[in-house]
Amino acid sequence: MATEQAKPATEEAKVDLFEDDDEFEEFEIDQEWEDKEEGKEVTQQWEDDWDDDDVNDDFSLQLRRELESNTEKK
Amino acid sequence: MAAYVSMGEAHRRITEYLNRFSDAVSYQDGKTLSRLVSVSSDAAVLVSLAEALNTFQDANRLFRQSEKYSQYADILLPMFRALQSYRLRNLVESYLAFEKASNAFLQEFRNWESAWALEALYVIAYEIRILAEKADIELASIGKTPEKLKGAGSFLMKVFGVLAGKGPKRVGALYVTCQLFKVYFKLGTVHLCRSVIRSIETARIFDFEEFPVRDKVTYMYYTGRLEVYNENFPAADHKLSYALTHCNAQKEANIRMILKYLIPVKLSIGILPRQLLLDKFDLNEYSDVVLALKRGDLRLLRHALQEHEDRFLRAGVYLVLEKLELQVYQRLVKKIYIMQKQKDPNKAHQIKLDVIVKALKWLEIDMDLDEVECIMSILIYRNLMKGYFAHKSKVVVLSKQDPFPKLNGKPVNS
Repeated sequence: MATEQAKPATEEAKVDLFEDDDEFEEFEIDQEWEDKEEGKEVTQQWEDDWDDDDVNDDFSLQLRRELESNTEKK
Repeated sequence: MAAYVSMGEAHRRITEYLNRFSDAVSYQDGKTLSRLVSVSSDAAVLVSLAEALNTFQDANRLFRQSEKYSQYADILLPMFRALQSYRLRNLVESYLAFEKASNAFLQEFRNWESAWALEALYVIAYEIRILAEKADIELASIGKTPEKLKGAGSFLMKVFGVLAGKGPKRVGALYVTCQLFKVYFKLGTVHLCRSVIRSIETARIFDFEEFPVRDKVTYMYYTGRLEVYNENFPAADHKLSYALTHCNAQKEANIRMILKYLIPVKLSIGILPRQLLLDKFDLNEYSDVVLALKRGDLRLLRHALQEHEDRFLRAGVYLVLEKLELQVYQRLVKKIYIMQKQKDPNKAHQIKLDVIVKALKWLEIDMDLDEVECIMSILIYRNLMKGYFAHKSKVVVLSKQDPFPKLNGKPVNS
């Protein structure tokens, strides 16, 4: 029994050498889908013009307070 | 466990299978043929055949009975052994027999002029990889070297060679390429992908767009990952975006995997995913990275990298993410600049290094003036900041025009 139980551990350790966490799932061989580029949700969820000049978020307000308080101390 | 099958019944089942196989070949029915060779599936026809083979030990005899069957003996005798062993969970046995059957099948396939049997060849290419993986697990569990997957890779290269030439079979080359990628990525021998990629991409005789969309998506996913490893971000962006755009919307696991690599690539060229995307595909390990970029929050970036270090390292994107630091510095200095501008527009373009040191200290990052000076020079050199550095007075003098150029989808200068 004891040897039986030890088995899975060694198996896992060895097999772990050969792993790809992100192996792409197979598409069915006869699977077809409508291949259109327009209007797909996942392709529209990106912001390339995110670099706005807003400095009124919490982080910026704290940063401002920090910098101002430090200057006063000097 | 196995159901009892009488001798007569066993004989009947095996003959039935043989007839179906030879009919499928005669009628060039690729779909039926493909079902008859998918050894690791639980198809009823195969399960019942395996039971019959357990009863009827001498299948050889059936092949000798007629020319109709004997011409397929080289394929089917080992195929039977592969199936039988598979159902009895002798996986190394099963792999070895299946490899034999596959070689014989490939020999036949080569002689068939049209591409009618491609679907069956796809199944064989898939099966050999799956059986090899299972055989390797068995080998490793008894302390032997797992080497079957490597063997499967060699066989798949042979298949690729048969398909990659001119002619109607070429349309199948990309499917086999994708199976090879899966083998190489698993074995950690991704450099072996190169020769097949070259063959696919330099072919003048075959337009990439003519391959099935299923294979194009898989191909772009894997080659995109390779471009990430090579830090070729514009190419990675192109390939992974292609995969994302064309992937079957129902295959959410695959979309998630594409995004797992595409997101760091997009971040490195200054494009951010919306939170909705991260939520929907459970990729929240990137949430804080994105927030850090928006805020200019170095502490948060370092935290996020540390917290998910394992995951990022395993995916091979850790270094890509680490390089985002420069963009975060840029953002931080820009915030300081905007705040100064609001206070006193005339002095805004001069930023004292002191102030940056203070801001960093607040973020729990200890840097002295020299170190900050060094970072500022890098920002200027990489064109993330325009201006010059007044060494004596310890001040960064920013250009009045576009002091913080955006990346606009281009990688940071190196």
